[in-house]
Amino acid sequence: MSTASEMNSQVKIQVTDLHKSFGSNNVLQGIDLEIREGEVLCVIGPSGSGKSTLLRCLNKLEDITSGTVVVDGFDVTDPKVDINEVRRHVGMVFQHFNLFPHMSVAENIMLAPVELKKMNRTEARAKALELLERVGLKEKADARPASLSGGQKQRVAIARALAMSPGIMLFDEATSALDPEMVGEVLQVIKELADSGMTMVLVTHEMGFAREVADRVVFMADGVVCEQGKPEDLFGNPQQARTQDFLSKVL
Amino acid sequence: MKNNHTPTRTGRLTRWIAGAAIGLMALVVGAPASMAQGAESVEGQTYVIGTDTTFAPFEFRQNGELTGIDMDILHAIAEDEGFKVEVRSLGFSAALAALSANQVDGVIAGMSITDERKQIYDFSEPYFESGVQMAVAKDDEDIKGYEDLKGKTVVAKTGSEGETYAKSIAKQYDFTVKSLDQSATMYESVKAGSAVAVFDDYPVLAYGIAQGNGLKTVTDKVPGGSYGFAVNKGQNTALLAAFNDGLAELKANGEYQQILDKYLADPTVNTPGNFFDLAVKSFPALMTGLGNTLGVTAISFAIAMALGLLFGFFKISGNIVLRGIATTFVNIFRGTPLLLWAFMFYFGLPQLTGWDISVWTAGILTLSLNAGAYVAEIVRGGIQSVDPGQLEAARSLGLGYGKSMQKVVIPQAFKMMTPSLINQLIISLKDSSLLLAIGFAELLYQGQQIYAANFRVTETLLIVGVIYFIAIMALTKLANYADKRFNK
Ligand SMILES: Nc1ncnc2c1ncn2[C@@H]1O[C@H](COP(=O)(O)OP(=O)(O)OP(=O)(O)O)[C@@H](O)[C@H]1O
Ligand SMILES: [Mg+2]
Repeated sequence: MSTASEMNSQVKIQVTDLHKSFGSNNVLQGIDLEIREGEVLCVIGPSGSGKSTLLRCLNKLEDITSGTVVVDGFDVTDPKVDINEVRRHVGMVFQHFNLFPHMSVAENIMLAPVELKKMNRTEARAKALELLERVGLKEKADARPASLSGGQKQRVAIARALAMSPGIMLFDEATSALDPEMVGEVLQVIKELADSGMTMVLVTHEMGFAREVADRVVFMADGVVCEQGKPEDLFGNPQQARTQDFLSKVL
Repeated sequence: MKNNHTPTRTGRLTRWIAGAAIGLMALVVGAPASMAQGAESVEGQTYVIGTDTTFAPFEFRQNGELTGIDMDILHAIAEDEGFKVEVRSLGFSAALAALSANQVDGVIAGMSITDERKQIYDFSEPYFESGVQMAVAKDDEDIKGYEDLKGKTVVAKTGSEGETYAKSIAKQYDFTVKSLDQSATMYESVKAGSAVAVFDDYPVLAYGIAQGNGLKTVTDKVPGGSYGFAVNKGQNTALLAAFNDGLAELKANGEYQQILDKYLADPTVNTPGNFFDLAVKSFPALMTGLGNTLGVTAISFAIAMALGLLFGFFKISGNIVLRGIATTFVNIFRGTPLLLWAFMFYFGLPQLTGWDISVWTAGILTLSLNAGAYVAEIVRGGIQSVDPGQLEAARSLGLGYGKSMQKVVIPQAFKMMTPSLINQLIISLKDSSLLLAIGFAELLYQGQQIYAANFRVTETLLIVGVIYFIAIMALTKLANYADKRFNK
C-alpha cells in the first residue's frame, strides 16, 4: 500500500511557510508540507501544538495569517478562489461527529449532493445507501443520529464526508471521543479508505494505528514540524529530543 | 386618548384650539349644512345638529343607536314643531367648531350655559339643571350627611365641579378629598371602601345609580350650571324659537319628566340585569374587541418575526456596523415602555411629520417594534445555542454560509426558539391591551366602554378576563400543537 507511487504521483496538497495566529498566540509558525496523491499522512504531537489548526487551515475553516496552501491546484489563500468549490474536493471528519440531528442518517449524507445540485434526490439517496453499505450501516439509513452509538455516528460522518466524492480526506482525532470498544470499527473503516488509495491527512493519538496505516508521520511541536519520516523510522528511531520525549510518554 | 369629559364643560383653551382645527378641516372638506335662515317657519325644514360622541346620559350609543336625554328631547321637540333633524355625532369640541363654521345649524351636547359662550352663541332656555351630588355605598348606614364624613376620605373627579364643591366644604366637615379621573373608578373605590363617598356631577351620578352602580344618594343636589341648546349668534332664530316653544310644550305635557326619568329614575324601580344578561348584552362588543386584539397581535407579531430575524442575524454578523444597528434597535425598544411608543406614534409622529396615522398603524408600529426587539434577542440566542460544529460541518461539505444557515443552523435554532417565541406571542397579545390608551378598540377597551355606561366594573372585567384567558389558552395549545407537528 505505502511507498509504491511516491515519486511519480502528483502533489495534492502543498503548504508553504504557513503561519496562523489567534491574536497574539502564534499557533502555527511556518509550516512546510507536501502531500502526494494517494498518500496517508498522520500528524501527531502534544496537545496544543497546532495539529487541529493545521488541518483546519487546509480547507480554510480557519483564516490563514500568512503563507500559502494549495489544494488540488487551488490556492485557498487567494480571495478569488471559490472556497466552497475547494471544500467539495476535501472531506472532513470531526472528533465530535457533528452530524445534523434534525435530519435522518440518509438525509445527512444527501444534503451536500442535493443542495449543490450535483444529484437529484433519487440519485443522492442511492449514493447515500451505497456509502452506508460501505461503512456497514445501510439498515440505519432512516434512523435519527441520536439513536446511534458513537462508533456508528462517526461511520455515518465518514460516509457524509465522502458524499461529494472528494479526492482528499481530513480526520481530526476521529476516534478520541469514542468509548474504547467502538474505536476499532471506526479505524477499520478509515483503514479501508486508506487501502482504496484515498489521499488522507489524519491527526491522531492512536500511535499503533498511525504506525500501521501511515505512509508518513509528521511530529508537530509548538507550531512547527519538528520531525517527519516513515512510521518505522519516526517511531523506531526518532532523531529529535522532543520527539523522543513525546514518544516515551505516549508509547 | 378618548375624551374624558370634564362634566362641567368649562371651555378650555386646548379644547378650543383642537376644536378650531377640526372645524377648519370640516370647512375645507365638509359638506355644507342646510342653512335654514331667517325667521321663516321651521315646518318641514331639516336642520343639521351637532352633538358629542359619548357623554352618558346625554348622548351615548346603545346597540349602535345614538340615544340619551339630549337626543330624546331634540327628537321630541322636532316632532312637536314639525321639523326634521339630522344628527352628527362629532365630539364636543368638534361640534362647537362645526357650529362656528356653519357646518351645523345647532349644537346640543350637555353644554353648560356660560357667559363666555353667550358671547358667541344664542342659547335656548335651559333644558336641564345640573349640579353636584354626593353618593355613598348602597349598604352604608353610617353616612347620612356631610357631618358623618369627619376624618374620612371622599373621591371626586379631577377638574370637575364636584371636586371644587367637595374641596370647598372639606375643611368645614373635616374630610379628605382624593381626586380620580373616571366616574367608574370613583364608584368602584366607594364600593371597595377606600373612600366613603363620591362627589360627582348630578346627571352622571343619577344615571349611574339608575344603572345599578351600587351607590345611593343621601343628600340633596347642590344646584350648579344649566344646559342649553345653542345656535350661532343671530342665526337660526326660528330654530331657537321652535326649540324653546317645543321645550315648554314637553314640560307642560309631562313628556319632559318622562325623558328624565327614563335615564335618571330611582334605581329601586330599575333593578339591574343579572350577570348572565350582562354577559349576553356585552358579548357582541367584546367579540369585536377580541377580533381587534387578535388582529393587531397577529399582524404585529408577523412583522416582529421579520424584524427579529433581520436584527437577530445582524447581531451575530461579523460586520460591526450591522451589529451596532441591531444592538441600538434592541436596546431602544427593550429599554423604553411600550406605552411611550404608543403615544409617540399616535400623538407625536403626526405632529412631527404631518402624516395621518391611524390607530391601527400606531398600534401595529408599537407592538411590532417592541416584540421585534425581543424576537431579535430570541433569534440571536437560538442561533448561538447551536453548536458551532454544525456550521463547520456544513461549510466543510462545500455549502455556502447562507445555505448552511438555512438548512442546518436555523432549523435547529428555531426548534430551540419556539418556546420563547410562543411566550413572546402571548406577551404581545396581553401587551396589546395597553393600546386602549390611544383609543384602539381592543378587548379591554371595549370592556371599559361597557362599564363606563353601566358601571358594573367588576363583572365586566371578570368577563373580559375570562375571554383573555380562553383566547390565550387556545393560542398556547395551538402553538404547542404546531410546535410538535413541525419541530419534531
Ligand atoms: N479558535 C481559536 N481561538 C483562539 N485560540 C485558538 C483557537 N483554536 C485553537 N486555539 C489555540 O491554538 C493552539 C493550538 O490549538 P490546536 O487545537 O490546533 O491544538 P492541537 O494540537 O489540535 O491540540 P489537541 O491535541 O489538544 O487537539 C492552542 O493554544 C489553542 O488554545
Ligand atoms: Mg486538536
